[in-house]
Amino acid sequence: MAVELELEDIQGTVLRSRPMPYFGTYYVFTIDDAGSAITLIKRLLPHITPAAHWDAPPENAWINATFSWEGLRKLGLPREILNGFPREFIQGMAARKEFLGDVGVNDPSHWDMPHGGNGLDIGLLIMAGSPELRDVKAAIGREAVAGLGGLRTINRLDVGLPPTGREHFGFVDGISRPYIEGQGGNPLPGQPVAKAGEFVLGYENELGVIASGPGPEEFWRNSTYISLRKIHQDVAAFRRFLRDNAETPDGRELVAAQMMGRWRSGCPMALSPEKDDPEIAKDPMRNNDFTFRAEDPDGDRTAPGCHIRRVNPRDALDGTVVDMRLHRLLRRGSAYGPVLPEGVTEDDGVDRGLVLAIINANPGRQFEFVQSQWINDGDFISQGERSDPIAGRRDRSDEFAVPRPRHRYKGLAAFSQTRGGEHLFLPGLGGLRWMVENLGPH
Amino acid sequence: MSNLEISPEKAALTQPSSNQPDGPGKRIGKRGEIHVIGNVVPGGGKLFRDRIARFQAEAGYWEKRIGTVHDFRVILFDNDTRILVSAVYDGDFVPYLQDVVTQAGPWFDLLMPGVWEGFTCAADPATAKLIEQQAYTADAFYAANPDLTIKDIAKMRRLSEAVNEMLDAAN
Repeated sequence: MAVELELEDIQGTVLRSRPMPYFGTYYVFTIDDAGSAITLIKRLLPHITPAAHWDAPPENAWINATFSWEGLRKLGLPREILNGFPREFIQGMAARKEFLGDVGVNDPSHWDMPHGGNGLDIGLLIMAGSPELRDVKAAIGREAVAGLGGLRTINRLDVGLPPTGREHFGFVDGISRPYIEGQGGNPLPGQPVAKAGEFVLGYENELGVIASGPGPEEFWRNSTYISLRKIHQDVAAFRRFLRDNAETPDGRELVAAQMMGRWRSGCPMALSPEKDDPEIAKDPMRNNDFTFRAEDPDGDRTAPGCHIRRVNPRDALDGTVVDMRLHRLLRRGSAYGPVLPEGVTEDDGVDRGLVLAIINANPGRQFEFVQSQWINDGDFISQGERSDPIAGRRDRSDEFAVPRPRHRYKGLAAFSQTRGGEHLFLPGLGGLRWMVENLGPH
Repeated sequence: MSNLEISPEKAALTQPSSNQPDGPGKRIGKRGEIHVIGNVVPGGGKLFRDRIARFQAEAGYWEKRIGTVHDFRVILFDNDTRILVSAVYDGDFVPYLQDVVTQAGPWFDLLMPGVWEGFTCAADPATAKLIEQQAYTADAFYAANPDLTIKDIAKMRRLSEAVNEMLDAAN
């Protein structure tokens, strides 16, 4: 039977891809008084954007509200419900730093975005297709907090598409994502079909059971988790690495493409291994239409250790212990900070990077599995300690190997460094209403 | 020095080990260990013995499919009242538990339902929880070549065979 998603009840960001271009803001609030927080939710509720009409929204802007476990505790959620959440959400991302590879330069002591352990109780996400629309939504957020003494805004981060139209390392971003059963339309070629319960609670997941949460169903139905990451990108180091490993501009493009598995245009190496083909990149019927195990088992076209073979191995792990269906992510990336001017290879000290909002119904077997086993480790693809050449930790290995022509790159720097992270709960609209009616000071 | 104290020389020989993330099991390098002890359903001993030959026969197929297990044992003990399952494998335990249970489910289902109390079928999400809840960590653990995974060993064997063939051909 076809799955029917309750789109009017699911917060919009679960299904909506960010607009292009996009203009957004993340607000972080600390709760000093539960009553103030409940008032905030009450005031925001009429403005929270559901996922209905997600593919053609009447207004190209939305506002969504999320909560850390600590935030829910402060709101007065009963202990038995709090204890029923997944352990990753209860502990918080900073506490899980060893497992997630957030050590050394990635250590939470370097984070400048608060997490659940030091102030992130409520996160408000605003995303819009124009600066004007963003400002309208931001004003709603400001008005909702106005006069609430028991709530403090402790952090704000603006995100927006750089003028280049690409993320800071120069790649076109956000090309591949799963098709969720019930979202409407048809999957594109190469797009995996995932059960809705992998991304929204209240629906069947890939284990054949209804994904559920703790407490009454009104609270968790149509909710999900967002695993939020703030990633600083060392663009100068990335450019120096390309420069030091290739003689010509074309050579540098090839090194970047080998590391990503796609040319910077987004064209997959699987379909055009020798040179970039921007026409393929632009064509949604072709830009994901490829496999690894069936068409390129040894990684001759797309290197086994590159970024896209790690975050989405497609069919590469068929016949192994890994059940790919259990580890799918819905990834929303948005850039922050100014572009490092073209050609500059020395760091200007300015913070720039990516905010990743990864939507998953089970943060343990989805985001955390991908981060710990695939991005930060290489054993699953016989690459030993080697990690993702773009996004991986560097304290264990600084190598990246390409089988054909055989080459081993050394001296990879920590191009991507964690500067914040938390598992957040994104209730459905019904869940927010339940919170207003049942939580707060007693 | 009493015989319970460890001399600095012997202490220096200790293999560095760590606990597995989020649960039971020790880890040395890339090698992990796990022991799971469950109760046996009354009458389960006979079922177990009826099924064990086929389970054993299929071990190679399923373990190869899993691809990360170095060795694996199942033991019925205490007069058919308890069951011990233990394994030495590559990598993390809890993160891969659901995958192993899902992917090798038909193999476990050959043996465990009606034997292991609480084990209905591998596809039941309660099964992974049951295994995690009944798992124990070894108090002492030693692993030879702890940085070599099954895949590494297979690769080295292929390499070694190729080198030998090359040397044979050269002579």
